[in-house]
Amino acid sequence: MQQFKRLGRIGLAMLLVGLISAGLLTAMPTQASAQQKTIKYGTMHPLTGAYAVLGRDQMRATEMAVEEWNAKGGVLGHKIIWVHRDDELKGNVAIRRAKELVEEEKCDFIGGTLSGSISLAMNEFACKTKTPYVAYCMSDMVLGSDQCEYGAAFMVVPYAASLAVAQYAFKNVGKKWFAITADYRWGHSLLEGWLWQSQQMGGQFLGNVYVPLGTTDFSTYYAKVLAAKPDFIVMNNLGADQTAAIKQASELGLTKNIKIFCTKTAQHTIKELGPAYNENVIGGMSFYYKLRDKYPGAKKFVDKFMKKYGAPPEQDGECGYVATNILFMAIEKAGTVSDKKKIMEAMQDIKYQLTKGPEYLRGCDRQRVQSYVLVKGKGAKAKGWDLADIVAEIPGDKIIMSCEDNAKKLPFINIKLPK
Amino acid sequence: MFEIPWNVIAMQFFFGIALGCIFVLLSSGMSIIFGLLDVVNFAHGTFAMLGAYAVFVVISLSGSFVVGLVSAVVIVGIIGMIVEFLFLKPLYGKDPLLPLLLTFGLSVAIPDLIKIIFGLIGKPVNYPEALSGTLMLGSVIIPGYRLFIILFTLVALISLWLFLKRSDLGMIIRASTRDSLMVQTLGINVSRIWTFGFGLGVGLAALAGAIAAPMMSATPDMGVDMTMTAFVVTVVGGLGSLGGAIVGGLLIGLVVAFTAFVAGEYSSVSMYFCMALILLVRPRGLFGEQGRE
Repeated sequence: MQQFKRLGRIGLAMLLVGLISAGLLTAMPTQASAQQKTIKYGTMHPLTGAYAVLGRDQMRATEMAVEEWNAKGGVLGHKIIWVHRDDELKGNVAIRRAKELVEEEKCDFIGGTLSGSISLAMNEFACKTKTPYVAYCMSDMVLGSDQCEYGAAFMVVPYAASLAVAQYAFKNVGKKWFAITADYRWGHSLLEGWLWQSQQMGGQFLGNVYVPLGTTDFSTYYAKVLAAKPDFIVMNNLGADQTAAIKQASELGLTKNIKIFCTKTAQHTIKELGPAYNENVIGGMSFYYKLRDKYPGAKKFVDKFMKKYGAPPEQDGECGYVATNILFMAIEKAGTVSDKKKIMEAMQDIKYQLTKGPEYLRGCDRQRVQSYVLVKGKGAKAKGWDLADIVAEIPGDKIIMSCEDNAKKLPFINIKLPK
Repeated sequence: MFEIPWNVIAMQFFFGIALGCIFVLLSSGMSIIFGLLDVVNFAHGTFAMLGAYAVFVVISLSGSFVVGLVSAVVIVGIIGMIVEFLFLKPLYGKDPLLPLLLTFGLSVAIPDLIKIIFGLIGKPVNYPEALSGTLMLGSVIIPGYRLFIILFTLVALISLWLFLKRSDLGMIIRASTRDSLMVQTLGINVSRIWTFGFGLGVGLAALAGAIAAPMMSATPDMGVDMTMTAFVVTVVGGLGSLGGAIVGGLLIGLVVAFTAFVAGEYSSVSMYFCMALILLVRPRGLFGEQGRE
């Protein structure tokens, strides 16, 4: 009995010590936040599922940018608090998370996402709640009625990627082309871009197959491609779809005889493909880490990223890094952390040079005007992260339509997609 | 009306059969597991994914694709037996929903484990050098690797058939699928047969994953679609029927191939349409036994 009483007293003492420690610990950040003013930035990335590797890079680059700003004292003396969520690359989840970020976490600014369609929903949400939103992905949000004064797009518009790759292909390879297109809005937008550029440069469109997302066997589509005898094949797909498509093209010997152009490709796709991504496979990217040999800003960014995370950043990471930086630069330029409208106005026509050459965020539609890079695979010669070489960098102003055209979705609205 | 060249039709047929062979391997495993244990294995595609990673690791170490294929079956088969022994066995005789939930849990947990071990980026599995070229049969292009898939599946299925029909263990397995209580009464440890049967089923899934790996690379999430395909083929062929899995696999392969040619965007949905059609006409599937629909 005596022993039980002693144990009880010890337990009570431990509980008290625990409570006091917990109280002290929780009080610490409160005191710190009382001393320093803060702003809150919330981002969303697909951290689970097939595109988790890209989502992770977006998250890492955002973290790096926030750390850099906080290291130099934050924005206008405000420490940046950054929170992030997994949107699972699902529209409904993304909207739920965005509400969480704005209504519960009280984020002043939101950003991220990897899907164009999710970015459209986010843009709409940003307009309703008047919360500035910086999109990290290829998005049509600057086109037509989707434009909103609280949204800014930092990856190229989908059609711009097509124009860049098509200009190179028609000039350097041939005129006859066949497309394999992922059957959803993003794929269709890319195909529209190709068809328009083909008309401008005298290309000969031989045909297209729409392929459902998540297709693993592409060989069944190649019989049609082979029968058409194109000069090159266009891949309007991404991720696992692109991996399977190129793998099976190599199985049929297509990568030995025909050039393949991927309108958008990714570093990890090239790595996954190994020798199949050879010198006949050319892919488009808004950023490839070898730009560090050309631009000091790219070198600084890539070296720091590699040192911190052990691998070079994907284009999606670079986009997140630039978007985060521009958001904070706009806050500084506006001289306010609370007047959201003024901050968005400050973002317009903002000029900067961060990871590539001189760039700007276009005033009329808040679209980042940036170059698009074409890389050629190294196939069996690839080693470590030395996977591809840059063959061209198409300037941003050559692949973007005017704001007036974008507002009317011209000229692509007049393009009739094949059935 | 445009004319379709016969060589394109022939190629489409060939690709459909090769694709169907992967479906056959995948769904035979699922059929064996369902026939023996009455367990709907939601992690079937996950075990196929493990097969793809196993072939990647073994090829990296040994340099031999064939050694990789055999090892994938053995390694994943053993993993399957351990899973059955530790997690599934305690659930037999309880709510039939429990094994289903368990395998669903495995289908979520195992890919995450793979991501931790191998990273988020998939691993390339190259086509074996000797099979990487193409053959010309008149004007029909035949990829060597697809031909290998067809021949290899044929050999694997004949071996499986001989094992199940002629060997003592095979006959016990077949008897257990019919009436496990009777087999138990005859003094045979049915519990061990179940463990082996589960290992055999997931081993076949691993073989499908390993053989498909050069066509798509090994990625942690590749199992999701494979599970769905295995379900469709198994339902079309008839739950628990090995013959059904073979016919169903080839049929679905051909349906997908020809739909891809005629209307590419409907190729994925075509298999579900085919399943719905067969279920309407014959609810127990093509070769399913009455009472098992």
